[in-house]
Amino acid sequence: MPVAASAIYFLNLRGDVLINRLYRDDVGGNMVDAFRMHIMQTKELGTCPVRQIGGCSFFYMRISNVYIVIVVSSNANVACAFKFVVEAVALFKSYFGGAFDEDAIRNNFVLIYELLDEIMDFGYPQNLSPEILKLYITQEGVRSPFSSKQALDKPVPNATLQVTGAVGWRREGLAYKKNEVFLDIVESVNLLMSSKGSVLRCDVTGKILMKCFLSGMPDLKLGLNDKIGLEKESQLKNRPTKSGKTIELDDVTFHQCVNLTRFNSEKTVSFVPPDGEFELMKYRITEGVNLPFRVLPTIKELGRTRMEVNVKVKSVFGAKMFALGVVIKIPVPKQTAKTSFQVTSGRAKYNASIDCLVWKIRKFPGQTEPTLSAEIELISTIAEKKSWTRPPIQMEFQVPMFTASGLRVRFLKVWEKSGYNTVEWVRYITKAGSYEVRC
Amino acid sequence: MALSGMRGLSVFISDVRNCQNKEQERLRVDKELGNVRTRFKNEKGLSPYEKKKYVWKMLYIYMLGYDVDFGHMEAVSLISAPKYPEKQVGYIVTACLLNENHDFLRLAINTVRNDIIGRNETFQCLALTLVGNIGGREFAESLAADVQKLLISSSCRPLVRKKAALCLLRLYRKNPDVVNVDGWADRMAQLLDERDLGVLTSSMSLLVALVSNNHEAYWSCLPKCVKTLERLARNQDIPQEYTYYGIPSPWLQVKTMRALQYFPTVEDPNTRRSLFEVLQRILMGTDVVKNVNKNNASHAVLFEALALVMHLDAEKEMMSQCVALLGKFIAVREPNIRYLGLENMTRMLMVTDVQDIIKRHQAQIITSLKDPDISIRRRALDLLYGMCDVSNAKDIVEELLQYLSSADFAMREELSLKAAILAEKFAPDLSWYVDVILQLIDKAGDFVSDDIWFRVVQFVTNNEDLQSYAAAKAREYLNKPAIHETMVKVSAYILGEYGHLLARRPGYSPKELFTIIHEKHPTVSTSTIPILLSSYAKILMHTQPPEPELQNQIWTIFNKYESCIDVEIQQRAAEYFALSRKGASLMDILAEMPKFPERQSALIRKAEDAEVDTAEQSAIKLRAQQQMSTALVVTDQRPPNGMPAQPSIGPLSLVKVPSETVDSNPGDQGLTHPNGVVYKEDPQPPSQDIIGDLLGTLSIEGPPGAVAQSPQSATYEAEGAPSAADAAALVPVGEESGSVQPIGNINERFYALCLKDSGVLYEDPNIQIGIKAEWRAHQGRLVLFLGNKNTASLGSVQALILPPTHLKMELSLVPETIPPRAQVQCPLEVMNLRPSRDVAVLDFSYKFGPTMVNVKLRLPAVLNKFLQPITVSPEEFFPQWRSLSGPPLKLQEVVRGVRPLPLPEMANLFNTYRLTVCPGLDPNPNNLVASTTFYSETTRAMLCLVRIETDPADRTQLRMTVASGDPTLTFELKEFIKEQLVSIPTAPQRPQGPAAPPPPVAPASQDPGALLAGLL
Repeated sequence: MPVAASAIYFLNLRGDVLINRLYRDDVGGNMVDAFRMHIMQTKELGTCPVRQIGGCSFFYMRISNVYIVIVVSSNANVACAFKFVVEAVALFKSYFGGAFDEDAIRNNFVLIYELLDEIMDFGYPQNLSPEILKLYITQEGVRSPFSSKQALDKPVPNATLQVTGAVGWRREGLAYKKNEVFLDIVESVNLLMSSKGSVLRCDVTGKILMKCFLSGMPDLKLGLNDKIGLEKESQLKNRPTKSGKTIELDDVTFHQCVNLTRFNSEKTVSFVPPDGEFELMKYRITEGVNLPFRVLPTIKELGRTRMEVNVKVKSVFGAKMFALGVVIKIPVPKQTAKTSFQVTSGRAKYNASIDCLVWKIRKFPGQTEPTLSAEIELISTIAEKKSWTRPPIQMEFQVPMFTASGLRVRFLKVWEKSGYNTVEWVRYITKAGSYEVRC
Repeated sequence: MALSGMRGLSVFISDVRNCQNKEQERLRVDKELGNVRTRFKNEKGLSPYEKKKYVWKMLYIYMLGYDVDFGHMEAVSLISAPKYPEKQVGYIVTACLLNENHDFLRLAINTVRNDIIGRNETFQCLALTLVGNIGGREFAESLAADVQKLLISSSCRPLVRKKAALCLLRLYRKNPDVVNVDGWADRMAQLLDERDLGVLTSSMSLLVALVSNNHEAYWSCLPKCVKTLERLARNQDIPQEYTYYGIPSPWLQVKTMRALQYFPTVEDPNTRRSLFEVLQRILMGTDVVKNVNKNNASHAVLFEALALVMHLDAEKEMMSQCVALLGKFIAVREPNIRYLGLENMTRMLMVTDVQDIIKRHQAQIITSLKDPDISIRRRALDLLYGMCDVSNAKDIVEELLQYLSSADFAMREELSLKAAILAEKFAPDLSWYVDVILQLIDKAGDFVSDDIWFRVVQFVTNNEDLQSYAAAKAREYLNKPAIHETMVKVSAYILGEYGHLLARRPGYSPKELFTIIHEKHPTVSTSTIPILLSSYAKILMHTQPPEPELQNQIWTIFNKYESCIDVEIQQRAAEYFALSRKGASLMDILAEMPKFPERQSALIRKAEDAEVDTAEQSAIKLRAQQQMSTALVVTDQRPPNGMPAQPSIGPLSLVKVPSETVDSNPGDQGLTHPNGVVYKEDPQPPSQDIIGDLLGTLSIEGPPGAVAQSPQSATYEAEGAPSAADAAALVPVGEESGSVQPIGNINERFYALCLKDSGVLYEDPNIQIGIKAEWRAHQGRLVLFLGNKNTASLGSVQALILPPTHLKMELSLVPETIPPRAQVQCPLEVMNLRPSRDVAVLDFSYKFGPTMVNVKLRLPAVLNKFLQPITVSPEEFFPQWRSLSGPPLKLQEVVRGVRPLPLPEMANLFNTYRLTVCPGLDPNPNNLVASTTFYSETTRAMLCLVRIETDPADRTQLRMTVASGDPTLTFELKEFIKEQLVSIPTAPQRPQGPAAPPPPVAPASQDPGALLAGLL
């Protein structure tokens, strides 16, 4: 495995080092000054996450108000480095109780140092799984030497067993009274549509999140209506493919618990789940996307000081379903002075700080088409009139029990030695990613 | 500010201040801008209070740095509001948001004018402030008169008049042409009688601006200024509120003295006396005190007074008093005061007679050279440099040298340059100079620019007594284990040239010299190796009888470098190798370098260029003009062997690259060099640049044709060494007269001037002769502009007119010398006696350095200058044409070999020769009829008629008929036109085609040398 990092720095927005850890001595301690000088204090910041200054490469990303910078002088694996950062942040979040920002770092110096020592060794990433690390790096911090002996005795053998065992992500001997599995399919739709209504770019990124409260070492098997799985199944069982929609999934990535050899041979997703919450798989879909909304804008500029905006939004999902938290942002020119609206549902207002008309509809039933018509008056300016660039209309929404991809869970089987009964809960939800319509 | 009650505004401001970051602030501001836009767009209109509030908000947002591109209308409209708070906002926001080029301001002009001519003082003040702040051209045009009226009006309060004065000042500075200040002098004088100090201070600012433009008109103000100064400094007759730390209005004092400095002198003895009395008082009464503010104020006054004293050329006593005062200052601990003291002392150097007094402080100044503050050190260095003369040069230069080793790097280059200049200028004896420079190179090699060592080489070359001494010194330095590369260069050069002079001394045998120079060889860079090679060649040449061992050693080195990648080194090695095999001829070729022509030291010029941070008065410049370098005088002697010291024409100059000049005539060259080696000495115009010169002779780069050098040296090698050496030995050293080449073609310039009345007649690197002519009937007035392009003056200037018989010419006196960079005008009266085509010649000569330049130039007082265009109607033409019948009054000729020209172009040509083409007189469209009037003393005004019949089939021939009342005139005019048509002179826009046959009159050759010869 290639090196991922020579050093890692956590900086605040001003460029002060909050915490750092040097894993190798091939980079100088002052490299972070170079980062501050050449990236943070220039316009470069935020343009490209990988930069080379001098002989060193800097990989950086911003998480809330903290910059995490990885410095490497050799030919490193960039993807690995970024994955490491993402995982490390998830780990810290699970330790700090959800928040990861400057204050959280300041309050947990000792813990972070301890974790940094553990999750990377001489530049090579190590185990980053919170479940395991929590066994032997506890949040209590410093303990008295007398009590520590007892406390440490118990988890340590477990930990070794775990890390080296075949199922590193699950502890043995778990027991629940009620065995439950929760499965969520969360999809976000990215769309760019021209004003004429033709789709310019469209894709769905989805993930399957699971939460398991199961006893023992269960083996789970998930069946979806995806194309490969169905074909394989019909092949194996010598049955003709069932009629109905099959979904083609791209770029599927699995959690490490999924048995890949089994997937490769049988195309079934079978796994021993970790305890608690985890992300089972991620996928992307580019074809056959069911768009939940259609937006039909007409914007007319009537002379220099007046505009007329008409926007019709049509929900194209089932009439029994409904979308929540729909927000439509219709951009208007900067010199907008006065606005008047008529909406058939929801509420609209002009927000000067983002130069948009914001139209909110809390509950949006399927198969309806509310409209907004607005009249806008512009103020005259002394600057020469630059033609307005007409940024796209943006939309936010959530549609429960609807998947833009059409993905469905066909079965979720749980098998355990003891043969207990389980309760499975499945949810679907579709959200807006960047859902934009040009006007 | 009247913010009370505007809650919305204060809430907004506190919101903005409470924002955590820039992004939040932007959101808040954008929200507010949206709000303001909505309000402004509201149909119901805004109450004045609201309008005021939102305009304030706009201003606040604008001041935060956001773009506000609306609402100017509202701001401008507030100006016409009746109430003060609204008017105030209007004025302030308009002044901030708009600049003078905005169209919106036009809307405001009228309102502003109403306020200015109105009765309300506060409104007047607001309006004046706005005009003063924006003050565009339109404002100046429409309001200047009103502001002037306001300034002198007696009914206004001082407050308003004060502002009016400043407003007028601003308008005047922006557009001096718009503000009418004719006859304003009396008013100004009146204003200076003002009792109110505020008005007086403002008026004084105005006066300073007016006087700086035109002091003549304001003589009457001078005594008033003096009186003001008296009132302030002597009588201390001012109200309490205008004293600042006990000093009566220092600002007014400074301004008054500044105004006084714009007048050349103070003539009236009474005024002068009282002025000096006041100045004396200021000089005496100022001392260094504890309080910083008081110090600042009193010193501002004092230094202005010093400047005034210097300006007025006060008596010596006063000057010495000033110097004493400054001497006190430079001893103070406070660095600011010391800096000012040093700087002003440097300025004092401009004034004669005080140098001796300043010299008394030399020790103190030298101490300042060691000050921790670099700006003080720089000033001290400037001062030392400026105050140096023969008497103290030795001390100062030695001090500088000593200081050099401890000085910081930022100053070293300047320091070494200045030390070098001083050593050169004030050297008591030349060996000292050589010592100093060598020491300088030794101590601060990196900071010694090439010019410095070029200069020392030049010196040594030009002074024979110095040569052996310098060689011995150089040898001494070479003994040191580690020396700077520049030192290697100088030493190698000097030992190569003059080492043989010391050959008798022990340790100076050629072999030893070679060994010691060659020891340094591995450590030097490529730029030094050519110099080393030259030295080796010279050492080899001086070794008589030849030592085979040394010869072999040196040959080995040459051989090694014959394949060097550096062209320069390679060529030298190859040439020296070939030459050294020639035996006896080597002696001639590698003989001692000739002397350098004298010229201004490049160092001084460099120092002048470098002089940027010093104040406008540069002591160096002054010095350079006041006293010529003594060292230059020492060396200004004819070379003993009587050889004219011409630049680059010496025995060694043939080491220079053989570069073929581009415009040289190949046939001509073939004649002079039958062996086929084109080898022409490029006569280098004596460049201003010693560096270029020295490089030209020291090294093989140099001539402009350097690009052409590699192929040539290749053939050179291919031909074999002996023939190359032969060719080299045969090289002619170029024409004597060619040493100063004219710039541009003299012929072309002459023909261009035949067509127009002003232009350049002649130009060479030293001089430019321009001409401007006016012609009236048979008389003309030419003015010759003789411009010296050099920084040295041209001597023995002579201009003789050789007039032809038909012209009477009178040239006014031409001065003997033309000062540097000056232009001299010489009017020349011309009277035409009778028609003739002969041309007047100007025999012009001057002397630059040792070279005498003589040129003969044709003056453009030609026949056509005495023609007056005239249009004749057919009714006049035909009777005339008929009455002049037959020769000798009417001549006809068929001209062949005419350059083909389309008819319109020919008509154009005729018009430029002042022959008016009359279209429509001849029914044949291929013919041309022209008329003109000729003026001369004998013929008076004489009508001339010309008819040209062209053949459309063959444009090279035509038939020409010329008629006039005078036979000579007819003949001369015919011949003149024929000349013009055959050899159509190259009018500037029409370059002469290469196919054109050589015209009989003008020499065909473009070569200026040949041209000159033809003229002679």
